[in-house]
Amino acid sequence: MDKSTIICRCEEISYEEIEEVLTNGATTFDDIKRLTRCGMGPCQSKICHSLVASMIHEKTNTPYFQIPLPRMRMPLSPIKLETLATNSTSFSSVKSVMDEVELEDGKVR
Amino acid sequence: METDILIIGAGPAGLAAAFEMASKGLDVTIVDESITMGGQLNQQTQVIPSLPSSFQSMRGFELAAHLTKQLEEYDIRYLLGHRVIGFYKDGSVGITDEQDVFAVKAKKIIVATGAAENAVAFPKWTLPGVMTIGAAQTMINRDFVQPGKEAVIVGSSDFALDAALQLSEVGVHVKGFIEKNAGILSRDLEKIEQVKKMGIPIYLDSFIKEARGMGAVEEIEIEIGTRVLTEKVDLVCVDGGRSPILDIFYQLGCSFGYQKELGGWVPQYNHQFQTDRQDIFLAGNAAGISTQGVLLVTGMLAGINVCEAVGAITKTIADEEKDFLWKELEILETKYNPNIWEARNRHMENFAHPVIKEQFLS
Ligand SMILES: Cc1cc2nc3c(=O)[nH]c(=O)nc-3n(C[C@H](O)[C@H](O)[C@H](O)COP(=O)(O)OP(=O)(O)OC[C@H]3O[C@@H](n4cnc5c(N)ncnc54)[C@H](O)[C@@H]3O)c2cc1C
Ligand code: FES
Repeated sequence: MDKSTIICRCEEISYEEIEEVLTNGATTFDDIKRLTRCGMGPCQSKICHSLVASMIHEKTNTPYFQIPLPRMRMPLSPIKLETLATNSTSFSSVKSVMDEVELEDGKVR
Repeated sequence: METDILIIGAGPAGLAAAFEMASKGLDVTIVDESITMGGQLNQQTQVIPSLPSSFQSMRGFELAAHLTKQLEEYDIRYLLGHRVIGFYKDGSVGITDEQDVFAVKAKKIIVATGAAENAVAFPKWTLPGVMTIGAAQTMINRDFVQPGKEAVIVGSSDFALDAALQLSEVGVHVKGFIEKNAGILSRDLEKIEQVKKMGIPIYLDSFIKEARGMGAVEEIEIEIGTRVLTEKVDLVCVDGGRSPILDIFYQLGCSFGYQKELGGWVPQYNHQFQTDRQDIFLAGNAAGISTQGVLLVTGMLAGINVCEAVGAITKTIADEEKDFLWKELEILETKYNPNIWEARNRHMENFAHPVIKEQFLS
């Protein structure tokens, strides 16, 4: 493939950049992510992870069943902080943090 | 909020499961991020081949309406326009209506979140005008927008042929199929014949070498063996196949197994469509990519297994219904895709062997 081809469109990471970290010893999607930001865009690797898996397969000869999935974290899709810091009373770590914030004369103490 | 059963995903699999459970008196809640029910069926205008024997032949969107209607007489809680964004320590599901996040506690969960289309990369594939076949289909059939005038299709699966035929129907000039393999992937001889009759060329052993354009795709170079062909197009529809959507299973701590024919990584499950988390079941494309008829049957099976697990029906009745449905699943799946049926069975057998979870954490 042409080296300038974009692999991660959210973060504009090219084939060449991923190839470089693979030659430097990266073996998993998360290695590549930590070194290049590939997979850290709004889609959270939903678009690029299969393209990256085939690159890992090609470059390192690792069979697909040995290439681990990228880590998928909460929230599963982007959400406004305001929504996450919900009015709901039942839980949420963000909510509890927000609860502890006190306003004094319009300023956070 | 509390419910007996939470179904995540109101596509054909989720709706079929809902019917089995609601009709046996269970308290069912369905959550879907879309405001309409039916999942991907809503933009499918083609007649769906080989539905289960209890269904008449119909088009995709008609099937969505039928599945929705058959739930009307039951008291089901619908959380449409709601997204699952994660899980709490106590196992409750975190759901947002975009205003708040609230917790739903369910005795059992069926995950039927479907599949996502895989990308196909080539130089300048990020230009506007390049999209998946599913996106093109959604634009013409759901949004009534013509995505372009001159198109090529990358791929030759059943789904790619359907998309090409539907694009042609709305006046898009389809200039060819670009297939990297040495043969056509679709096994639907009738559809292949239809495409050939329309005079759409099918290029085998070929791929897009490059797309070009200022701000949008204007032209592509197709490499066919040793020859290079340049085509003026404003629409490139790519079919990279589909893979199960796994984020919810991942958060739930389910383990996965790799089966190429099922779409790659698939949550590990047994003959009950139960994952290695006893309270989590699955159905539909999330359990391996297959055809709509099969997906419906997996939904019914998951529904019946949940009914049995919570004691809504006896084992004898459940076994009888399941026997019948497994036979039906085998007939439907072996008819078009015997290799998928084999992969599904291999996958379920692997459930019995210990699966290493840590291998997936990096
Ligand atoms: C755009 C598109 C077009 C398609 N057209 C065809 C075709 O023409 N022919 C063909 O054979 N196949 C087609 N398919 C394949 C299609 O996936 C299946 O035919 C079928 O619809 C899958 O059924 P399902 O119930 O497993 O999943 P789906 O129908 O995808 O239903 C899953 C539902 O889960 C919901 N969901 C997912 N995650 C969450 C979450 N976190 N929170 C809340 N809700 C969630 C989704 O909104 C969706 O409604 C198409 C796929 C796509 C993507
Ligand atoms: S394409 Fe890589 S994060 Fe979206």
